[in-house]
Parts: sequence; C-alpha cells; structure tokens
Amino acid sequence: MTTTFLPCGVYHENYIQDHAWWQTKFIKGKMLLLFFLLFILIPLLADTYILSICNQIGYTILGAIGVQLLIGYCGQLTLGHAAFVAVGAYTSTLLILEFPWPAILLNLGLAYPISIFIAGLMAGLWSVLFGLPSARVKGFYLILTSMAAQFIIVDFIITQYVSQIGGRGQAFSLPPGTIKLGPWLIDSDLKVYYLMILLCIICIVGVANIMRSRVGRAWVAIRDNDISAEVMGINVIKYKLLAFFYAGFIGGIAGSFWISNLAAISPEHFPWSWSLWLVGVILIGGVGSIHGTIFGALFMVLVMESLQLMVLPLADIYPKLLMDFLFIKEAAFGLAICMFLIFEPNGLAYRWWQTKNYFNLWPFSY
Amino acid sequence: MKPKKIWLKTILYAGIIMLMIGLAIPTGAATIKIGSLNDMTGATSDVGKDFALGIAEAIHYINDTGGINGKKIKLYQFDYGYRIPEALTKYSLFKRLKCAAILGWGTGDTEALAPTVARDKIPYVSASYSGHLCNPEKTPYNLFFSTDYSTQARGLITAWYDKKWPNKPDYGKRKPRIALCYMFASPYSSSSIKAAKDHAKMLGFEMGPQQDVSLFAIDTKSQILALKEFKPDVLLLTNTVMSVAAVLRDAYALGLKTDKLLLNWGFDENLPKLAGKAAEGVIGCAPWAFFGQNVPLMDKVVEYAKKYNPGIPLEKRTIHTVQGWANALGLAEALRRADKAGDLSGEGILKYGFETMRDYDFGLGVAPATFTATDHRSQSEARIYEYKNGKFTLLDSIDLKKRWPEKWANEWLGW
Repeated sequence: MTTTFLPCGVYHENYIQDHAWWQTKFIKGKMLLLFFLLFILIPLLADTYILSICNQIGYTILGAIGVQLLIGYCGQLTLGHAAFVAVGAYTSTLLILEFPWPAILLNLGLAYPISIFIAGLMAGLWSVLFGLPSARVKGFYLILTSMAAQFIIVDFIITQYVSQIGGRGQAFSLPPGTIKLGPWLIDSDLKVYYLMILLCIICIVGVANIMRSRVGRAWVAIRDNDISAEVMGINVIKYKLLAFFYAGFIGGIAGSFWISNLAAISPEHFPWSWSLWLVGVILIGGVGSIHGTIFGALFMVLVMESLQLMVLPLADIYPKLLMDFLFIKEAAFGLAICMFLIFEPNGLAYRWWQTKNYFNLWPFSY
Repeated sequence: MKPKKIWLKTILYAGIIMLMIGLAIPTGAATIKIGSLNDMTGATSDVGKDFALGIAEAIHYINDTGGINGKKIKLYQFDYGYRIPEALTKYSLFKRLKCAAILGWGTGDTEALAPTVARDKIPYVSASYSGHLCNPEKTPYNLFFSTDYSTQARGLITAWYDKKWPNKPDYGKRKPRIALCYMFASPYSSSSIKAAKDHAKMLGFEMGPQQDVSLFAIDTKSQILALKEFKPDVLLLTNTVMSVAAVLRDAYALGLKTDKLLLNWGFDENLPKLAGKAAEGVIGCAPWAFFGQNVPLMDKVVEYAKKYNPGIPLEKRTIHTVQGWANALGLAEALRRADKAGDLSGEGILKYGFETMRDYDFGLGVAPATFTATDHRSQSEARIYEYKNGKFTLLDSIDLKKRWPEKWANEWLGW
C-alpha cells in the first residue's frame, strides 16, 4: 500500500528524485493549492463556527498522530494517550501561570512557545515511563498497561495534586489573551486556527521525516515482526521506547496547543474515552498512514457535525427529532467504526491511495 | 443502474441538500433562538438527561402560553456528552445560529466558556451553581436560578445548628463538631468548602479532618473509620448522588452516628434508591421542589412530562426536570422584560431582563429571584429538606440575607 505509482511518463533517475518530498510538478501544484486553501481561503471565508470545527479537527489530528506512530508504525497498542495530552496541557499551563519568566522572554512572547517544547518533553518522558512494560508485554497486555497511564496520571497525580497547585480548588483559569505567541495574543478562533495549522504541519512533517529514516524503518520492522527485527540487529527495546517518547512528545504538543483554545482547564477535559476516540480516528482513517490520521480526524469531526446540521431543518417539522437524534449520533460513531472494520479495514487512506493511483495510471491502469 | 446504487445516491443527495439547508438556517429571524447545551450521553448523563428533558418541556410550555410577548422561542438543544472540545464548537454553532441566550450545563462547559461568553456578551444560564459565578465584575454573563453552592452550604449548617443541635444531649456542654467529605480536586465538590468552613467557624463549630472522597467512589470505609475517631455531630457532603450514597451506606454499615448535610446534586429522588435505609434522616438543600410535590406550576411540569415524553414513567422523573424548568422559565422572563424594553441583545437581556428582577416568583418551590447589577446571587434563601419515612419534607428555610445582611452584602459575594 505504500507504493504510489508515478504518473505515466515520469521516471526517476537517482535516489534524490526517489526520496524527494514533492516528486512531480503536479504534486507541487497540489501542495500550493492546499497551502492557499489552508492559509488564505479558509481564514477568509470561514466564520467562527467553521473555524472552531477546524480547530477541533486540528486537535484531533495532533492527538492522533502520536497514536498512529505507536499503533500504526511501531505496532505498540495504546489506550492511554489522553493522559500524555493532559501532561502537555498541564505542563504548559503551569509554566505560563506559575513560572517566573524573565521579563525579556515575556515581552518577546516566547514563554508559550518554550512551554510547548517543554510540555512535549515532559509528556514524552511520562510516555516512556508507561512504555517500559512494552519491553516485556505485547498486545492486550500492553493495552492494559497503557490504560494505567490514565488512572495514574490524570485520575491520581493531576486530579489529586497538580490541580491543587496554587490552592485553587478550581480549574486553572486561562482567559482568552493569557497566551502570547511572539507579538500575537492568541485571543480569537482565527489566531488559534493559524497556531493549529502551524503545529499540525510541523508535527506531520516531523513524523513523515522520521519514517523516512533509520528509526522509522526500525519501527516498521518491529511492527511487522519483532523477533525478525531483533535478529537483524535492531535494539527492539530502545526503538520501542523511542516510539513512546515521540508519541508522547506530540501528545504533549497537542495538549499544549489545546489550552490556547480553552478558557479554563481541569482534569475533566482529558477523559479516558478521548484515548479510545483517538484510536477510532486512526482505525477509520487507516492504520499506518499519516494521511489516514488526517482523514480519520476529518471524518470523525465532520460527520458528527454534518449529521447534526442535517437534522436542524427537519427539527422545524418534527421538533423532538433534535432530542432523539442525540442518541443516534452516538450510535453513528460506533456504527461507523464497525462498518469501516468490515468493509474498509484499511481505512480512508486506502481509498485515497486507490484514487490517486487511478488518476496517475489513467488511461492505462492495467 | 442497480436499485441499490439508486438508493445510495438518493440518500447521499438528500443528505447534501439537508446539510445545505442546515448551513443556511441562521438567516431567518422571526423567532427568538435559544441554545441549550446538555449532557445526555456523557459522564454526567445520570442527572443531565432529566434536566435536558425538563428544558425541552419547559420551552414547549412557554411557547404554548404566549411565548416571549407573542414571539416563539426556537430551541436548539444539543448533546455534547461532557466532551469539552465539543462544547466549544457547539457554542460557536449557537453564535452562528444567532442564539439570544444559552442554557448551559455543568462546571466543565461553564468554566471553559465563562470568559468567552463575557466577551461575546451572551447570557449563559447554567446548571453549575458555583458561588464564584455570582460576581458580575468577574463573570457578568453567567447566571442561574438556584441558590448557589456556598449559600446552600451556609444554609444547611445554619439549619442544623438551629433545629438539630439543641436536641442533642451534649448541647450547651461543648462545641458542635463538623467534618467535611468531598472530592478535593473536583471544581464542583470543592467550590462551597471555603464558605462552609467560614460559616462553621462563625457559628462556633469545632472543625474535624476533611476527607477526600472521589465523585466515583464506591468504597469509603477508610474515610468513615477516620471520621469515627473524631466523632462529628454533623457531616457535610458536597459530592454527587452516587458518591454520597456510597458514604451513607458505609457510615450506616460502620455505625457512624452523625447527621448528614447534602448539597442539591447529592440530594434527589435516586438517593433513597441507592442508599436504602442509610438515607433515612439525611438533610439536604433543594432550591426547587421535588418532582410532583404540591407547589404552584408543578401540575404543568407533570402534564408536559406526560405529553412530550410519554415513554418515560413519571416515577422515574426527578427534581432535575424541575431544575431544567426553573432555568428555562427564568430565562424566558428575562427575555420578556428585555423584549418589552426593545433590546434583545445580550447586553439588553442582562440589563433590562435579569437585572430588573426583584423578588420574582415563578413557582416550582423556587425562592423568589433577585438580580442586581452588582450581585448575581439570585436567591438568598436556602430551602432545607429532610428525608424522613420515605418522604422529602421541608425542614427549614434560611434567608441568609435577612439573617446576616451586613456579611451578605459585603463579605460573601463571589466565593
């Protein structure tokens, strides 16, 4: 599935061409169009509702990349990712609210960007800690150990101790305008949107690049057969823990980003079901594909919102529908996962791959 | 074309058309639009579902009885499953739909949205009754029709001190002893603790050790054993029903003989079902009447429950339906007043609607509501009920403003 056929008449002559990011002029054009869409068209045309949906999609993508890296690329099942997102969010919040930043950093608006990086590191280290059992256990057992992260980090450490810092007894308050990125105050949906796009691009490019490296190949080898990988000389434990670190790092960035969109943060924002949701995202999008992460996030958020919007006009005729629909919506999520597992186990990314190849090979697709 | 494909296409096109209409909807403006954010499937759905049903039924009632000076209310009610990211998008959707006001739900969404609603000037009537939402200087657009948690705690302690303490054998010989049981880290559970401690100190209580009991606790024996050493005369529990029931059961089993005081979310018709005999004699604050009690307008609540949700037996409906009604009716009255003044903007609803209410009584066993530009504590009265012989009976009604006018006005606002 990883091979995308080149369009008719395009040939590579050296490795540089073979490994180029954008291999044809057509792809370059496509990317420019995407750039135009993301940075100019959507911000120009979208109102706050559309922007807030985009932000939710972005948050889902950032959260799900880490899960994709662990499950899709390294084969390490996880159901505790929300905990690392929480670590990131809380680290960033505490650094912004409590840390005595030098005035120069505050004035330059560097406190938040630095906190994003530190949040990533912290979440990465916690992730490694909970990745340690992966040295000994696999599969279902690993799911259980990763679930422990939720109970220990969110339900115990954050709820019982971290939330109490500063004697608040309440959620940490982060009114819009607390967070400053360089000269910009992040105080509107549009600014959050730009921050989201920026972070998503950095993380996606980062993961895509790692996957092209020795590390990425080692992960794929471990996923496909860890014994063979070890026989080939890959230090399985080291690379597994590295995967946990990267996944946690990106999870931390996701949490750190999300606080810019919130006015207050409490442990309630990181329920265990969020980890499950993220696994749902990659299952629907396609396991083992970065495109899949993006498609999955788009699908999960957009389908839910569209279903809701579709019901709105009908509510005029039959008002009770708006209420009854609430349950149908929840069921739709479950149904979508079942349908994908049965009819499209490779996820939306597989469809995308097929469509791309169809056009690349057209009209000689045989 | 195969029939299956025709069906698929028809469904797809119908979906697209409906989506387009859905996106285009905000253009109409003949009615007053209200958004309602509810949890019917998430972590707080055990109480949230009944509340949401109450809201929907109350809006039907308002529309059937003349609406807002002749204008109908259009209710957009969404479930966000207590997922905060979704609450944020739903809030944006309400803004897009040009909702005049929002009926919100719990601490999670209310806290996350408080500064945003203040910036956007949209009245947000929530079911989070935290005392720190009552200071208009900090949260001008957060409102509710209930006694706030802090006033509830003060009222409960006062009622016990007045009615129960004099009957104890040790009365007059020593100070009464109080202990607190709550989840330290929960914003809801801990929001009234500062006020409770302050009040107990003022009345001369001896304060015992505080016990951390999770909202999801099913076993609280260690906390009860710790409390047994202190021998409290009274125990204040500020958690929700499930957790409160666990404490009551364990206290009963381990023979901790003490009176128990509960805030509104720990005190509903489900408590006796969950705690059985252990619920006998508990004292709780209920700012509204229990479902079906003989108070003005309750006949309508029951009638609309039967009419619009006949599938749910009446004995399963609870006080949370009445809570939903209270918030919806209160908001409707504010809208009526603002509409009469000709200003249905968020600012107008606040200024000419809510803040013109002085001892406004809409029945349902709710104490008269008053909002002023400097004080958003709608009720100064805490209605205290006792659960005895299978019934909730009114034990006392404490009006803190009348009893401590100086402290009420100058000290107790906003915490």
